[in-house]
Amino acid sequence: MTTPSIGTPNPAPPVPDPAPGPAAAVWNGSSTATQIRVLTGRSLRALVSDPGVLAFGLFQPVIILFVLTQVFTGMGKSAHFPAGVSYLDFVMPAVLVDNAVQSAVQSGIGVVDDLKNGMVARLRSLPIHPASLLVARSLANLVRAAIQIAVVIVLAVVVLGYSPKGGAGQLLASAGLAVFITWTLGWAFIAAATWLRRAEPMQNLSVIALIPLMFASSAYIPVSDLPEWLRVIAKVNPLTYAIDTARALALDLPGAGAAVPAVLISAGIAVVGGVFAVVGLRRPL
Amino acid sequence: MSGPTSPTAARTAGDIMIEADGVSRAFGSLRALDSVSLSARRGTVLGLLGHNGAGKTTLVNVLTAALPPSSGRAAVAGFDVTRAPREVRKRIGLTGQFASVDPQLSGRDNLVLLARLLGADRRSARVRADELLELFGLQGFASRRPGTYSGGLRRRLDLAASLVGHPDVIFLDEPTTGLDPSSRLNLWEIVEDLVAGGTTVLLTTQYLDEADRLADSITVLSAGAVIASGTAAELKAQVGTCTVTVTPDSAAGPAVTCAALRQAGLEPVPDRENGTVAVAVEASKDIAQVIRALDRAGIGATALSFREPSLDDVYLALAGRSAGAAS
Repeated sequence: MTTPSIGTPNPAPPVPDPAPGPAAAVWNGSSTATQIRVLTGRSLRALVSDPGVLAFGLFQPVIILFVLTQVFTGMGKSAHFPAGVSYLDFVMPAVLVDNAVQSAVQSGIGVVDDLKNGMVARLRSLPIHPASLLVARSLANLVRAAIQIAVVIVLAVVVLGYSPKGGAGQLLASAGLAVFITWTLGWAFIAAATWLRRAEPMQNLSVIALIPLMFASSAYIPVSDLPEWLRVIAKVNPLTYAIDTARALALDLPGAGAAVPAVLISAGIAVVGGVFAVVGLRRPL
Repeated sequence: MSGPTSPTAARTAGDIMIEADGVSRAFGSLRALDSVSLSARRGTVLGLLGHNGAGKTTLVNVLTAALPPSSGRAAVAGFDVTRAPREVRKRIGLTGQFASVDPQLSGRDNLVLLARLLGADRRSARVRADELLELFGLQGFASRRPGTYSGGLRRRLDLAASLVGHPDVIFLDEPTTGLDPSSRLNLWEIVEDLVAGGTTVLLTTQYLDEADRLADSITVLSAGAVIASGTAAELKAQVGTCTVTVTPDSAAGPAVTCAALRQAGLEPVPDRENGTVAVAVEASKDIAQVIRALDRAGIGATALSFREPSLDDVYLALAGRSAGAAS
């Protein structure tokens, strides 16, 4: 057994120590704002260093955009289609919201990754607020979703000649709404991640949740064209409101008032999701 | 209070850095920890021995303020883990069974990230990261991602990561599991250096030789309860002897070999199934005794092995059963 030398509160370790003194006095912890900033930067850096993630994230909305517009434009329009609106105009906001939802799932996947690779265990041993990691994940994902949405809009404008009636300002507003939906819905998936803790059930959950959410909504065809039972679901589906709002804004149609339920429902999801996420993360690993 | 030693210094020198007092933890009906008490003084290594499921990691979780105990009290670096978890976390480092680093960040960025989270500014964070990279011989790998590291390198990065904040107490949860012998030795040397510098270490392990080499005192856990504690020598004394196993050639056979060894004053135990003979000896130097006896009787051996008391032996012995694991 080594005898600690009397009189040296912190015996000099072999580690070259730039600031000798009691350990805790060197760095006295960081503020929650710093934690969130540093951790968000970390997630964004991974995005830069691994652009494949961003590229794959773009595939789906781009493919959906091109497939839907090419296939459904040829099928002719249904009776309930808004007059003077092309299918591209109609479906574009839905593509943005779909991208938002996919990105939301990614927030959850990121948290599962952190649980799996031990980052959560590491961070839990540090004097930081556990929610910082979750907030950072959600913010980094917000940035990612915004980049993806920007790329999709640029592609639609340049390649498909997308030119919504509402003009640039309202298009931006509808994109902004999609980004907001990403962020709020992301909390539902972050919460799921802290409870499920494994990638597989997360993937399953996203498929199970997303297909009905997107198809039982006004995303791809007007709600009035849906069968009766799907129409009922579509009317309580928050995505219907989100898509209706985005569409009304972009196409300068009446109905932007759907923004109120869209924002309220989303905010509700974020609050409930946030609480469950923090509680879930606190559970023993 | 007057005297040659100031009160502050005296308090520091005798510091109990890790203390658990009757700590229990239940998961549902499973009692993962059952009234565990232990303590370690500054600058010492406390070895925590036990098989998988013995409760080692649960205890580490309680002591690192990751898991509240169901009952009992624990303090690390002088702070109660339940009442002042943040103060505890400022003063500890943790290296778990699996490397806990971000696979998407380079080795250096991982260390910088942790320093920043601990409150370092950008510059000091980089300085600290470079110090640790140098100390652990990781400079050549600093800008590479941990995914490209070997197991030994990753474990070293992980240990470096737990030292970023100059911790007073380090928890090493099975740090050498899955490492090759040279990486294992390298890690042992790093731990010894840290302890020489005054760091307190709690080391969990399944290997008696590891605890033997590093630990000043050892606590043995079984089914969540402490079944023994003491120095390595004290524990071995409880377990008893080492075992030499002789495989005689076909000309001699176990029976003849036993007779010869018995004549030399040893107590051989034949294993007819395997055709071997086990002999209990006090220490490794006593192998010579066995060889001399065989030589004198003209018995040839095709194999000879020596085994120190294992954790299994400790378990068996402490469970009150015969330690004759050789037969």
